[in-house]
Parts: sequence; structure tokens; C-alpha cells
Amino acid sequence: MHLTKKKTKNYIGLILTMIFMLLLSACQSAETSTGSGAGGSKKDAPIKIGILEDQSGDFSLVGIQKLHAAQLAVEEINNNGGLLGRQVEIVAPDTQSDNKRFQEMARKVILEDQVDVVMGGFSSASREAIRPIMEKNKMLYFYNNQYEGGVASKYSFNTGAIPDHQIGTLMEAVIKKYGPKVYTIAADYNFGQISADWVRTETERLGGEIVGEEFIPLGVSQFASTISRIKAADPDVLVTLLVGQEQSSFYGQWAKSGNTKLPMATTVNMAQAYEHKRFDPPSLANMYVTVTFMEELGDILPSAKEFVDKFYKKFPDDKYVGMEAETQYTGVMLWAEAVEKAGTTEVEAVIDALETGISYDGPAGTAKIDPATHHAVRNVYLAYADKEHKITFPQQWEAVVPDWLSKEKGVDLTKKDEFKQYTPLD
Amino acid sequence: MRNLKMKLNTENVIGIGLFLFLFIYPLFVTPYQILNLSYFISMVFLTLSLSLIWGYGGIFSFGQAAFFGVGGYFYAIFTMNSGISTITPIGLLLGVLVGGLVAGIIGYFMFYGGINDVFVGLITLCITVSLETFMAQTAGSQWKIGTVGLGGYNGINGIPTISLGSFALADVNFYYFILIVLLVVYIGLRLFVVSRFGYTAIAIRENRERTKLLGYNVPRFQTLIFALGGALASLSGILYATWGGYMTPSAAGLTAATLPVVLAAAGGRKNLTAAMIFTFIYYWFSQTLSASGNEYALVILGAALILVILFVPEGIIVSLFKLGDNLFFNRKKATQVKAEGEFT
Amino acid sequence: MAIFELIYQFMNNFSFLILSAVGLAIIFGMMGIINLAHGEFIMLGAYITTLATASGVPLPLAILLAAAGVGVFGLIVDRLIINRLYGRTLDSVVVTWGISMILSQGILIIFGPSLEGSSTPLGSISIAGATYSTYRILLFFIAIVMLGIIYWLFMHTKFGLYSRATMQKHDIANTMGINTNKMYSLTFMLGAALAGLTGGLYAPTMAVSPTFGSAFLMPSFVTVIVGGANPLIGTSLSGGVLGVVNSILDILWGTFYGRLGLLVVAIIVIRLLPLGFSGLVEKKLMRGRGI
Repeated sequence: MHLTKKKTKNYIGLILTMIFMLLLSACQSAETSTGSGAGGSKKDAPIKIGILEDQSGDFSLVGIQKLHAAQLAVEEINNNGGLLGRQVEIVAPDTQSDNKRFQEMARKVILEDQVDVVMGGFSSASREAIRPIMEKNKMLYFYNNQYEGGVASKYSFNTGAIPDHQIGTLMEAVIKKYGPKVYTIAADYNFGQISADWVRTETERLGGEIVGEEFIPLGVSQFASTISRIKAADPDVLVTLLVGQEQSSFYGQWAKSGNTKLPMATTVNMAQAYEHKRFDPPSLANMYVTVTFMEELGDILPSAKEFVDKFYKKFPDDKYVGMEAETQYTGVMLWAEAVEKAGTTEVEAVIDALETGISYDGPAGTAKIDPATHHAVRNVYLAYADKEHKITFPQQWEAVVPDWLSKEKGVDLTKKDEFKQYTPLD
Repeated sequence: MRNLKMKLNTENVIGIGLFLFLFIYPLFVTPYQILNLSYFISMVFLTLSLSLIWGYGGIFSFGQAAFFGVGGYFYAIFTMNSGISTITPIGLLLGVLVGGLVAGIIGYFMFYGGINDVFVGLITLCITVSLETFMAQTAGSQWKIGTVGLGGYNGINGIPTISLGSFALADVNFYYFILIVLLVVYIGLRLFVVSRFGYTAIAIRENRERTKLLGYNVPRFQTLIFALGGALASLSGILYATWGGYMTPSAAGLTAATLPVVLAAAGGRKNLTAAMIFTFIYYWFSQTLSASGNEYALVILGAALILVILFVPEGIIVSLFKLGDNLFFNRKKATQVKAEGEFT
Repeated sequence: MAIFELIYQFMNNFSFLILSAVGLAIIFGMMGIINLAHGEFIMLGAYITTLATASGVPLPLAILLAAAGVGVFGLIVDRLIINRLYGRTLDSVVVTWGISMILSQGILIIFGPSLEGSSTPLGSISIAGATYSTYRILLFFIAIVMLGIIYWLFMHTKFGLYSRATMQKHDIANTMGINTNKMYSLTFMLGAALAGLTGGLYAPTMAVSPTFGSAFLMPSFVTVIVGGANPLIGTSLSGGVLGVVNSILDILWGTFYGRLGLLVVAIIVIRLLPLGFSGLVEKKLMRGRGI
């Protein structure tokens, strides 16, 4: 072997690589080394919000919007003199659409950065990955996102839309207009399964019938067989609860070989990942979605328009201001109201303040915390996309109360602490 | 046996230094950093398992993540069904055995069926991805083993930590527990690779045909070492599950399957100490990048891996060991490190 | 009616498997390199096509542009990185993994988390009362034609002869005067170009994002595993068999079983035929004929 000749060359490479890596780590650790200060100096130190959002990977489409919304909210709070006379600061690691990373980073922001509240998470899997950590560390957690509902936890607050807001209203509107036969396709994980259960329950309550139900594994991007099954079942309404970039390929394929006259109903599309902007018409023709906010709401609501304008002013390169961006923004503001009311960032005190039924006049109307369930009372808007993907809002519901947990399951978090997620099945 | 005599070389000095450092580490840092390091240590077992079967046994496997998942899920289902905390150490031991057994069965079918080299990598890749695909769709309420729902893509939450009697291992205690396990496993593996069995494994790696002609039952040795690797990966999965109380199908995904291979290759696959050290460095580095929220994090990580392979093909840590040997222990040139791993 | 449905499903699955696998198969078969950046090459092709059509280039041209662009990119990657790793196939796993991380995150940084897609061209046709996407049917024929071109390339050109020689015994080919390093570079470029072509072809039918490639990765690996080292015979046979299995399971039990079925078939095939279908065919039918 002619090892000796190559050796010097190898060592030069080795040393260069080491220097490169050292340099990189040096610039990284410089900012992190000034960790947790002592408790005494906390008076003037900034209040910290941990924002755990996916800035890369599959869910970054929504994650980046949500991070930006939080930054916008915090900037406004700081421009108005901060909270309790202190500045507010964001700690925002990148969770990379990876549930393991969510766990690591949740621990880091709580234990190392010592944040006062944690917000974030898009997929329900990421929420379930970090919720136990919040409970263990008695940390206030805001899940500012639309989801499948049912979480009853002392430390968790959800300011987004849940089935109470979205599914009863949606099914009522479409069944009344188009007929009772419903076909559901949903992402094959907890969000999809539970939401599909909700669709079933609501459809049956309204006298409709589920003529087909299919769960699509995450990451599937080819839908030819699903489309042919839908066509064979010949429903009056198609409910789509698809998640992620790959699954959103369904709509283009549907428009090409499906029946575009068949109305689609959903709780997730358009408002979250702006499929109606990303895909050429008529991919989402004839789609109904119940939302608490979407960019087009600015056409009918001045407060929404103002929010959208502010957002684009701060982030001119962003492509859409979706439902979750508004939810995150409103979530931060609700928390800020509660902190002002409590006069402290102490978790128990802030929870008590939130449980007085804090409300905030946000971009999409008034959002109010429902004390018993820790969810939000919100206005719900039915959005409709026509053949050109033009959005109209044919119907709206004022101040929908998320009372399924309190009515059906007897949950009252003001009286009794709980730490679990209920589903319509149990 | 002369093999057992410890040589004075960089690898051993650094290895001892590392363990000493790890033992005193909790005295100087915050509880969070201890917790975090426990996580790194739990992942070191996974890299060690691959380093053992690939670096020493010559078996290239993407399946370690699958055994990681098997261990984690088994432990979760077993302990959560029983609901008694004192049973957790039994769950740990059984989980390791089950991981080893599953690996043994898969290994039996592969090696007695004459599958070798890159094909082992491909078949284990399929197995790993199958496991993930299957576990990810178990969200429905019909997927229950005993009283424990498999949870689909959301995974299983609330997995109990290991308890010795009524004493639950948490925080610093868990750290020392997992560190001692690592020390035992590490010493065990170092002794194993210089045992007769270990030398046979190396012989099989270097030349399967020749070893067979010398009268060794090659598939038997391969199956055994593969099972041992599976048991180690399973241990890693269990420790991870107890660390976070959480197990998810993506732990057996494509990325998770690739990571041990990357770590072992970049650190130096024919050297257990190198694989261990590089795992620490990698997890620390990638976590720091991720925590910074820097959008270039993955780009930097990717570039670093490419540079390592291009400029230090034997693995960065192994090359450092050699450099150290040349500088400080320059008696038999660079051959010492190779002594236990490689016959040139 | 049902039979048309089944045929349509099969055409769909077959073209998806073949097109996603062929670039990977050529690189794996010729060079033994497991290219984990394959999905990202496909993604790159989709981006080139989408961006080109958005700026007014007609779609067929944009797709060819994607193939050419990714091919050139592949050549650059090969010259800079991969050519130092010839013969170190397992190290290439690490390197291509690194490349894939850089590519998908780099695209995210440059273009953001999504791109406005173009719609699928060519409407739909009606057969026996059901409508089918014409473009998807066209994809099937494109896959067939592509296999034909690869056959011609490997069987009837000098490049094919040299590359087959390199694949079988690279040291002997080298002594016979073939520049094997050049062959490897060209092969890598060809594989990358085919990946780019696939990305371009599927760009109008799917959501284009930095994770575009991940949808292709699993099917492509399974196809290559079942097919074995021979990029032509192996890939087309395994695409056919897997296409049938996938379509039937899919129609009978749903998408999940179609997906799981692919993996189970792969495990069984590799257990029975470690060299995949190409091993079987070479042994039984084409002994000594080269390809």
C-alpha cells in the first residue's frame, strides 16, 4: 500500500475539515452560551416566548407563516411598550417537521431558555409529542392551530378552529345544498381518523349517509385508484381531509379525471396551505371550507384586510397569509392580554387570567377563551372556491362555542384538571 | 490472553478520558444539559450496534432503526399494559432480547439464504420502511395491544421510565444509569471484538469464502452477530423511549435508517470508540444548528458530511486517532490503531 | 368497465414505478452507488420545469430542459464529488445523503416552501362512461418509449458497449482501453438526467415543493431492489410485476395495502432471488449475452 505518500495529503484535508467545523460551531455557540440568568435579575429581563414551528421540511409551508405571524405580534406588542413594562423576545428553534426534534426543542426552550410560554406545532403528531413535556414541566402551552379537537389539559390552550367550529357547520351547509350521500377521504393518521369520525357523526345527525371512507397513508401522491372508487360510489359531497405536500397532489389529479361538478368540503385546504393559489384552476373548483380566517376574508372584513396588509408589509416575500397565521397572531395577543391581566408571567396566574374568559378583537373578529375547555369561541366563515378559484363567503356563523368537551364529556378545566385527549369514539 | 492487554494509544487514552469526563459532567452543568446528554447517550447504542455488525462483521444494514423501533414499541406496550413500575427493568431486558430475537430471525433467513453485501442493506431497508408504513397507519381505535393504543403516526406517549424497585430513574439518576450501561456495553464490545468470535467476525468481513473453507459456519456467525447488533439497537430504542416517554414510527423511517450508517461511516466504522465519539459530536452539532433556527442548518450539516468523506475517507475520528498516535505514540507508526480491526 | 379501470390503474402504477426508478437503477446497476439524492434530483427537475413553464416555455420543451439541466448538474456533482468515490460505494451513501440535505434545504431557502404549479395538460378522455386523464395515459407510453431508448442506447451504441463492459469487469475494460472513469461520469450524468426528466414529467401532476422527491424515493428503491442490477431488464420486469401487485391490492383493499404490498414483494423477491429479476433472467435466458 502506498499509504505513506497519501498520508500528508490526508492530514491536510483532515485539518482543514476540522477548522471548518470548529469555525461553524464557534459562531453557533457564541449566541447560545449566555443561557439562563439567575432568578433575581428577571425584573427587567425580556419576557420569552418559545415558538416551535417547522421552518424546514414538509410542514414548513405553514410553519414559516406561523413563525412570521408570531414575530409580527411580538413586534406590535414591543412597539406599544411591551408587556408589564418588559420587552418580549422570541426563541424560535427550527423543528424541521420532525417529531423527535419537537421533543428535544421543547425541553430546550423550557429548561435552558426558560421561556414563559411555549407556542407552536402544526401537525397533531407534533402537538402530542410535546404536550406531555409541557404538563411535566408545568409550562403554559398554546397550540395555535386548527386540529381534530378533544384535548383537555390544564396547561394547553387552543385558539384555533376545531370540529365544533368547522364540521357541524360545514356538513349542514353542504348536505342541505347538495344531498345526503357523503364520501370521505382523509389522511391516515390521528387527525384524519378523528376528523373523519366527526364527519360521520355530524352527517348521521343531519340525516345523511356515509357512502365511502378511505384513509390515505401520509406521503402518498398518486390517487388514480382513490379517484375511481369515489366515482364508483357516486356521492353528493366529497369530504377531503388530506394533509401534507404529497397528498395535496390529489386535487390536480381529481380535476383531470374526476367529476369537477361534485362539490368538495374540507376543514383544512385552501385556508392553510393555499392550494387554490398554488394549483391552476379548476383543481379546487367547487370546494367549500369552513375557516376562522383566510387571506380573502379581507374582501369582506376590514380588520382582516388590515392584518393582511401589516403581514405583507413586514414579510413582503411571503406568498399567503393563512388561517394558522391569524390563529398564531391571535394566540399571542390573547396570551398577552392574560399576562397584562394577571400582572405576571407566572404560569398558574396566567392560566387563571385566561380562565376568566379573556377575549381579543382580532383580525377575524372577536376570539374569546372558553374557560371550561381551554378552546376559543370564534366566528366561522364558509368559504367557497369557484371554477376560477375565486373565493366567496356565502355563509357565516357568529361566536361558535366549542362546547362538545363540556357538554358531552363533562370537562370543566376550571374545576377539575385533566390531561388527556377525548375522541368521538370513546 | 495477550489481546486483553490494553495498549497505550490515542484511542484508549481518549476513550478513558471521555468516560471520565462524562462521569464528572453533571457536576458542572444545568439539569437540561444532563437530560440532553442522556439522549445523546441513548443514541450512541444505535451507532455502536451498526459499528459492530458493519465495521467488524462486514454486514451492511439499514435495519438498525427497525430494531430500535421494535425495542421501543415492545417496551412501551409491555410496561404500559402491566402498569406496575417495578416491572420496567424486566421490560428492558425482555425488550433487548426481543430485539435480538427479531434480528436473529431476519438474519437467519438472510444469511442462510445466501444473501450478502449490499443486498442485506436493501432488504433491511425494505423491512425498516415496512415497519414505519405499518405503524404509521395504526391510528384507528382498532389498533390496540392489550390496553395500549398504537397511536399511528402520533406514536405512543406516556411510556414509563425505568424503576429499580420503587425508585424511578429520572434526571441525574437516569443519566448515571444510562452512562454505566454504556460503559459496560462499550467495554463488553471492546473485549468481544478481540475474542475468538470477534476475530472470526473480522475474518468473515475480510473474506467470506476463505473463512468458510477454513471450516467456519459463516451464516451462523453472521446471524449471531446480527442478532447481537439487533439487541443493541433495541436497547437504544428502549432507552430513547424511556428518556422522552415517547415512541414514534418515524424513529424507523428512511432518515432514521440512514443516520446510523452515516454516523458510523463518517466517524470511522472499523472503530467502536470513533463511532461513539462521532455520534456525540453529530447530535450536539445538529441540535445546536436546529436550536439556532438557522435556515442553513441542514445545508451546513450536509456539507460537513461530504467534506468528511472526501477528505478523511477513513472517518474523521479514526484519522484523528492516527494523527495522535503519530504525534505522541510514534513507536510502531500508525499501525497500532489498526491492530484490532484490520489486517493489512 | 372494470377491466378498463384495472388497465388504467396498471398503466399509472407502471409508469410511476418505472419513471421514478430508472435513473436510480442506471446509477446503481452501473456504478453500484446507492444514490440517496435521487429524490432530490427528481425534485430539481420538477422545479426547472415549473419555473420554465411559468416564464412561458412550452411544457414539452420545459421537461426536456429539466432533463438537460439535471443532467448537467449531475455531471458537476460527479466531477466535484462522486468521482472521488468510485469503488467506495458505501461511502457514497453518506455523501449522497449529504447532497440530498443540501439540495432540499437549499431549494427551500431560494424558492420558499412551495411553488405555484402548472396544471396538468391535455384534458381527459371517456372510455365506457368513465373519464381518464390523457396525460397519465401518455406517461405510460413515455415510460415505454424511454425503456426502448435505453435499450437502444445500451445495445446498439458504442457507449452502451463500453458501459456494459465497464459494468461487468471494470478492470479488464480498463486494460482494454476503455476510460472507465469517463464511463462512470457519463452514467451518473445519464441517471441524473433521467431523474430530472421524471421530475419534469410529474411536475404538472403534483404539488411542487422541496420535499417533492420524497414521494418517489420509496417506490424507486423498491423497484430497483426487485429489479436487481440490470437497469433495463430488471427495471422493466419489476415495474411490471410491482405495477400489477400494486394495482390489484390497491383496488381490492385500498391505498395502504398497495403500498405495504410493494414492500412485502420486495422482501420476498430479494429472499428468493438476491440479484433481483435481472439475476434470474441473466441466469436462465441470456447467459453469456451480456445484457
